[in-house]
Amino acid sequence: MGLLLLCLGIGWWLWKGVAAMEDPEFIIGPAAYYIINTAEETGAANIVAAILFDYRGIDTLGEASVIYTTVCGVAMLFSKSKYKRSSAGLSFIARRGVSFLVPFLLLYGSAIILMGHMTPGGGFQGGAVFATVTILLCIVFGSSFEMSRIKPKTKETIESLGGLFFVFLGGVGLLAGAGFLANTAAGFPRGQVGNFLSAGAIPLLNIAVGMKVGAGLSTIFYSMVRVLELEFGEQMSEVEGNDKN
Amino acid sequence: MTAFFAFVCVFLALTALVASEAEEVLSAVISLSVFGVLMAMVFVILQAPDVALTQAVINSGLVTSFFLVAYSQTQKPNLLEQKQDIGDGQ
Repeated sequence: MGLLLLCLGIGWWLWKGVAAMEDPEFIIGPAAYYIINTAEETGAANIVAAILFDYRGIDTLGEASVIYTTVCGVAMLFSKSKYKRSSAGLSFIARRGVSFLVPFLLLYGSAIILMGHMTPGGGFQGGAVFATVTILLCIVFGSSFEMSRIKPKTKETIESLGGLFFVFLGGVGLLAGAGFLANTAAGFPRGQVGNFLSAGAIPLLNIAVGMKVGAGLSTIFYSMVRVLELEFGEQMSEVEGNDKN
Repeated sequence: MTAFFAFVCVFLALTALVASEAEEVLSAVISLSVFGVLMAMVFVILQAPDVALTQAVINSGLVTSFFLVAYSQTQKPNLLEQKQDIGDGQ
């Protein structure tokens, strides 16, 4: 009962805070600085992307390495052996429907990544859309279909290339003498705010993070599914053996 | 708009309760997925579209499928009983 009252109290507090956020006089400190100066300094129309990939670029590199470490750990833990069986997938209607949908989903993911500096979105969200597409393919077409089209080795290569690309772009700033992950100070063209080709290195960093996240999350799902297939096969053979007995 | 926001918030709390208290794991997973979609709507109302995109894709797409894979990997109690029954029968 006390816990419920505590929850209700905190919820009410949060509600009042949310209501107060609409007042413009609460935009103070760093928030006000970013709103005033972002378009001029970075050329990005999306302030969140500018903060993620320009002002706080090294934090984003840290996040990307967290995902990389997770993928490495999961892939190492689940790398038992190759499986032979494949799940059957769904019916003909589901297969046709999904094959109509998949190009549009890929287009959506690419748009989120490539226009991350203008509209909401960015490398992380677009990469997650790509990973979801591969999961959809696995569920609908059976797990061996996607494995045969995109090899796990290719995914690992794409992920590592994304990480290397990110660090390389940071190194360009270092070479120009402007510091690691510097954007316009390192000579990347700022462009016109709102144009597709603008904001210097931010679209390139978006592509790098998109490669990393998409391939990484897809790898995690596939290493888990592979073990699932393996254990399901073992259980089935056990059940069959019991039936024979 | 405020009424809609309040409705979504109440529904959010309900789905969170179901996700934490449901006996069956599958219902909890699906309820968590609904929770994610509602959370994305709340983020849109609070004018955070970046976070809303992440929330929608990650929570309703990836987290649900990860949980379902984990659910189908772990042994269910009734399946365990069946196995024991087969063992007793032999």
